[in-house]
Amino acid sequence: MNASALKQLTIEHLRSSVLPFSLPFEKGKKLTVVYGENGTGKSTICDAFDFLSRGKVSSLEDRGLGRTSRYWPSLGKSAGDVSVSLVTTGSTCRAAIGKGGDVVATPPEARPRVEVLRKSQILSLIEATPADRYTAIKRFIDVSAVETSEATLRELIRDLTNNRNVAVARVQENQDAIQQFWEAAGRPGKDPLVWAEAESSREMNTFDSEINAIGALHTAYNRLTDYPERLKNAELALTAAQDSAAAAAKRADEHLQAISQDAAEVVGVLQAARAYLAKHPSPPVCPLCESSEKTADLSNRISQRLSAFSSLQTAQAQVKSAGEAVQRAELQVQTLRENAKQHAADFEKCRGAHVWPSDIALPASSAPEDPSAFSKWLAANAHLPSEWKKAEAARYDKKQFVSALKQALQTWRDNTQEQKALDRLLPRLQKALEIVEEERRQFTDNILATIAGEVGRLYEAVHPGEGLNKISLQLDPNRRASLEIGASFCGHNARPQAYFSDSHLDTLGLCVFLALSALDQPEDTILVLDDVLASVDEPHVERLIETLYSEAIKFRHCIITTHYRPWKQKLHWGWLQNGQCQFLELTKWTASNGLTLIRSIPDVERLGQLLAEAPPDPQLVCAKAGVILEAALDFLTLQYECAVPRRSGGLYTLGDLLPAIDKKLRQALRIDVFKGKDAAGALSYTTVSLTPFLDELTRIAQARNVFGCHFNELSFDLLDADALSFGQQVVNLMNVLTDGEAGWPRNGKSGEYWATAGETRRLHPFKKPA
Amino acid sequence: MDTPSRKLAEKILERLVHEKVLTEQEGNKILPKLAEGTLRSEDWRLAVELNEGKKAKP
Repeated sequence: MNASALKQLTIEHLRSSVLPFSLPFEKGKKLTVVYGENGTGKSTICDAFDFLSRGKVSSLEDRGLGRTSRYWPSLGKSAGDVSVSLVTTGSTCRAAIGKGGDVVATPPEARPRVEVLRKSQILSLIEATPADRYTAIKRFIDVSAVETSEATLRELIRDLTNNRNVAVARVQENQDAIQQFWEAAGRPGKDPLVWAEAESSREMNTFDSEINAIGALHTAYNRLTDYPERLKNAELALTAAQDSAAAAAKRADEHLQAISQDAAEVVGVLQAARAYLAKHPSPPVCPLCESSEKTADLSNRISQRLSAFSSLQTAQAQVKSAGEAVQRAELQVQTLRENAKQHAADFEKCRGAHVWPSDIALPASSAPEDPSAFSKWLAANAHLPSEWKKAEAARYDKKQFVSALKQALQTWRDNTQEQKALDRLLPRLQKALEIVEEERRQFTDNILATIAGEVGRLYEAVHPGEGLNKISLQLDPNRRASLEIGASFCGHNARPQAYFSDSHLDTLGLCVFLALSALDQPEDTILVLDDVLASVDEPHVERLIETLYSEAIKFRHCIITTHYRPWKQKLHWGWLQNGQCQFLELTKWTASNGLTLIRSIPDVERLGQLLAEAPPDPQLVCAKAGVILEAALDFLTLQYECAVPRRSGGLYTLGDLLPAIDKKLRQALRIDVFKGKDAAGALSYTTVSLTPFLDELTRIAQARNVFGCHFNELSFDLLDADALSFGQQVVNLMNVLTDGEAGWPRNGKSGEYWATAGETRRLHPFKKPA
Repeated sequence: MDTPSRKLAEKILERLVHEKVLTEQEGNKILPKLAEGTLRSEDWRLAVELNEGKKAKP
């Protein structure tokens, strides 16, 4: 932000500035008072700052003009002609109306920060609704962003509290479940959770291993169970085959014996002959006996003889088949025995491969190697498979039980852990929320208290001792963005709007504005007060002016426009401290020239100018010096309550006032004139007695009447030097008595002397000598 | 110019750190979000939990 000192404001064709108008700012003075009668263009100066800073002309608003920008240019000029420039020690910023109608400041970073208060707005904050009042100071107390973050914290706490409640309920449910498991297990030990921890630490593989071992044992046992039956059947089949083979052999023998002893050989010969005849169907002779007898039809006769031997052949085939069946049956029996033996060995191997828990019964003896002994052994152990089944089922149940228990315990652990984590976290979050809420309330309350305190301080400065200083600003806790203003009235809390006079409300409104403006970067802010003294009643104006003086130094610059004439006069007479004040006067506005500035010169300075003219005019010098001397004597006689002739209208002449300062007082009057600070930092003064000034002025006071008041032939006989000496003596007195910057010594707070602001002059004595 | 929310956020975090609800590091992290109103529930939780975690360390 730019806080450099102001050098010059130039206004071109904005409102009443029909010609370019420049307002120079005096170096080292942060307060500029622009005096002007109504219609001289004071508001245009304020509008220029408004235009430059905010791109608007707020003095035209709320006048029923609609869009006001069309009235911004002075008569006969267009928007493009309007411009306002502010030259400071650091930069120059110029604002003009752009093509789109917006006000464009160049460079934008040099755009000054300005607060403008107009007479019409002075009550706006006082009479506003609580909501509008809140809006006006929202920028100082708007912490809605933090409130949003605060709401998320509150929401988090609510959610986590719900989560914790759920976790607590679940922990209880889990504990109940574990309790049930514990009871189902026969309530082993004292503590269900300790038991559950121990149980759940068991390896699930143990169950699987035992279940597998039981299954394998059972399977191996089952393989043995049908061997007795199978062996028995195989052996029966062998016996049957053997019987069949014996019967077939017997039948074949019987056929053979029935045919001949050598039937077999004969059959062989016949079969060979048939085979031969098949190759030699009509042999001439018998191939055996070589006889040619009976060769005819030999082949048929051989076939007939062979058929007689077929039953024998069938019997012989049956013998062969039965023999083969016996061989197969024998092989079957043998294979069964070998397999049974192997499976018995497998069973024993299975039994020996596992360390069996005590609840699993095993055969009292090993499985027999001889399958013939199986039946007896199996009969002795027939009850075991069902026991193994039970043991296996028990392990399955146990496995499922432990698995469910483990899960329940894990859930309990998880929920307990979550609950504990929330138990640790929630108090910290709640503490955080308490801190956020407390700091937010305190922050807002502090700002409001600061504003209210500042308003009260300013108000008390203007209306001291009236008991109306206890200003308060309160946010309505039941309504968002609603601000009430309160004050103490006759010892009661009251709404100022209801009890204060218009003048008091005006002062209050001004104080609120000053307090708010001073709160927000005052060192960067140009404060513009447009004719705000108008409605303040006379007794308070002077104090208000003094207050404005003292407040102005907080700001980058303060510009006050006024048509309050006494201010001008008091400044002329040096009654007000004007050390930091630049006083400017606007003279009559004309359509051809627009705003015209003149410089108001204090009368003492003017007297000095008259004395410095070449040649000086004795009449003008005496006239001006007489008036100034009257003012000085008026001040002293009032200050010391000197006796003057009582007269209607209270107008006193030098002839009344000079003798009123009697000899004792005149001897006692002295002024400490501030020289500076010594090496130790203490204020250093030169003491000047007023006695010689007053004595000399008493001696030559006639010069005023002779030269300055009337046409008088006596003046023909007097030297001009006498008149000029009178004027110079008045200047000398005033230079000692008053300070052109700090005013007159009116402040009696010390109780020992009367002092100017900053104690640049100390007037002694404090009381008139008795 | 600092907004009122920014000024308040700084005060709040200074107090939260002083009261050991947050570490200074976490406070600095969440300051912009707190001042802008964009701080989420999980940001609050994380900041407080991280402080809890650091306190738990021997």
